[in-house]
Amino acid sequence: MALGVVILLWLVAAASPLFAARSREIRLDERLQAPSAVHPFGTDDLGRDLLARVVAATPISLAIGIVSAAVSLIVGFAVGATAGWFGGVIDLLLSRVIEVILCFPVLFLLLALAAFLPPSPWTVIAAIGLTTWPGDARYARAEVLKIRELGYAHAARTMGASTPRILIRHLLPNTVAPLIVSAAFGVGWAILAEASLSFLGVGLPGPATSWGGILSAAPNYIDEAWWIALFPGLALFLTISAYNLLAEGLRRAASEGGGHA
Amino acid sequence: MSRYVLRRLLLAIPTLLGITIVVFALVHLAPGSPGAGASSLRRPTGRGAEEMRRIYGLDRPLPERFAKWVSRVARFDLGESFVDHRPVSERIREALPNTLLLNGLALLLALGIAIPLGVVAGGNPESAFDRLSGAALFAMYSMPTFWAALLLQTLLAVQLRWLPLYGIASDSPPRGLAGVADRLAHLALPVICLTYGTLAFVARLVRSGVAEARDSDYVLSARARGASRSQALWRHAFRNAVLPLITLLGLMVPALLSGSVVVERIFVWPGLGQLYFDSILARDYPVILALSLLSAVVTLIATLASDLAAAFADPRVRDGAIS
Repeated sequence: MALGVVILLWLVAAASPLFAARSREIRLDERLQAPSAVHPFGTDDLGRDLLARVVAATPISLAIGIVSAAVSLIVGFAVGATAGWFGGVIDLLLSRVIEVILCFPVLFLLLALAAFLPPSPWTVIAAIGLTTWPGDARYARAEVLKIRELGYAHAARTMGASTPRILIRHLLPNTVAPLIVSAAFGVGWAILAEASLSFLGVGLPGPATSWGGILSAAPNYIDEAWWIALFPGLALFLTISAYNLLAEGLRRAASEGGGHA
Repeated sequence: MSRYVLRRLLLAIPTLLGITIVVFALVHLAPGSPGAGASSLRRPTGRGAEEMRRIYGLDRPLPERFAKWVSRVARFDLGESFVDHRPVSERIREALPNTLLLNGLALLLALGIAIPLGVVAGGNPESAFDRLSGAALFAMYSMPTFWAALLLQTLLAVQLRWLPLYGIASDSPPRGLAGVADRLAHLALPVICLTYGTLAFVARLVRSGVAEARDSDYVLSARARGASRSQALWRHAFRNAVLPLITLLGLMVPALLSGSVVVERIFVWPGLGQLYFDSILARDYPVILALSLLSAVVTLIATLASDLAAAFADPRVRDGAIS
């Protein structure tokens, strides 16, 4: 079911260009209208159709979420696997780096990076990727430590395989399952992080808007237009739930399959 | 045991050093350094700029500036705010109690509800209660805090008018017991918003720990020796689930502070989260530096304390069987 929602989201994202023009159409005579047959989600403070805006924001929210999760995953797995594989001083050092970043409240770092760097989608992606990789790194380190103890790496070593060969031929295929699980959780988290930044007003620069960006107007109209808060948030909630459910399903499948098939 | 404690304490030293480096880099590598002035229009040029760089010590090499800054911070001299020129420590002291109240209540509430919930659900896996609470916890886990806050505000403050929309107290708060009730009414929504995420996280953790321990030999043998069902669950299965929980308590500090930024902003709550956010917008570097340093150091101490507590709670570590 979660996969169904994720696929549906991708279809919505693919169809979103059809709604782009409508999402930008400002009609002040129709501002703050409640949901109706013409505007199923109602209209915002500038009379723009909220349904069209939510649809038009879908590819932006998804893309930023997925790319930042990928950045976090690549950095995290590279650092974590290096620490777990080589151990010793390298592990001690990298583990300190991971620990240092985990000591900061994520949103503190996110806000500082997003506010201090020039506003652009890449800034948001870099900020999310660079603040969330320590979680992935911890996970990757634990997985690699587990694999290292399994013996087949040792067996490959005694058969004369070089370190890069062991890493690529034996380690990488066995980290694919945890990598995919991390990726699914990471996308959910990154979409949430982007939405939080945009909601607080330090996310994407206009006019491109994500769901969080639409929601940032909601507090101003909380006593007259509840639909501005409800619908973009619902899209956000369903998306994050779908990715989290997908991740849990994958994790269960990976652990039942023995994790290293 | 003492070897474990010593090792853990020694490892905290490089972490502390790393924290100070990150905080220092955060501000000094940001474009628009403190020497650039508040706005580009008033940016000093030529000799004026040199003079200013000299006064603020910006002409010195980076390592020297870092050492100077660390030695000042070590004496608890956090400088003064760029915005109102009051000491940073004073501004933090004003905001700290509000944040502590909010987060303390949220943490107590979260643990108080999550632990019994997790034990009961984990004790009866796949029961109707387990499935229902599992679905509810999953929804809470995936729900963005600011969306929950907006919905609760709409429903409970705007539509039903049961609770105030935002703020820490009414403009002219009543005296005595009514004043306390007024404070509690203002606390309700922000505390709920900060609680449910932690609650979902802890309950799921406890549930899986208890569910796993439930089928183990030692819980079975406790039952065989005549322990009641609830005794077996609470005295034996829950104890096993509590270790990872203790270890994670320390890491809940930064998570709560992150939540505080969003919640305090929505509910106009004059705490550390609000102060941090305002300082980011105003580029009030001394306050940003102080708050990030403070939160990271508090987290470091909290994780250290929870690691040591977990070690004391774990008989294998306590008795020196593993170190």
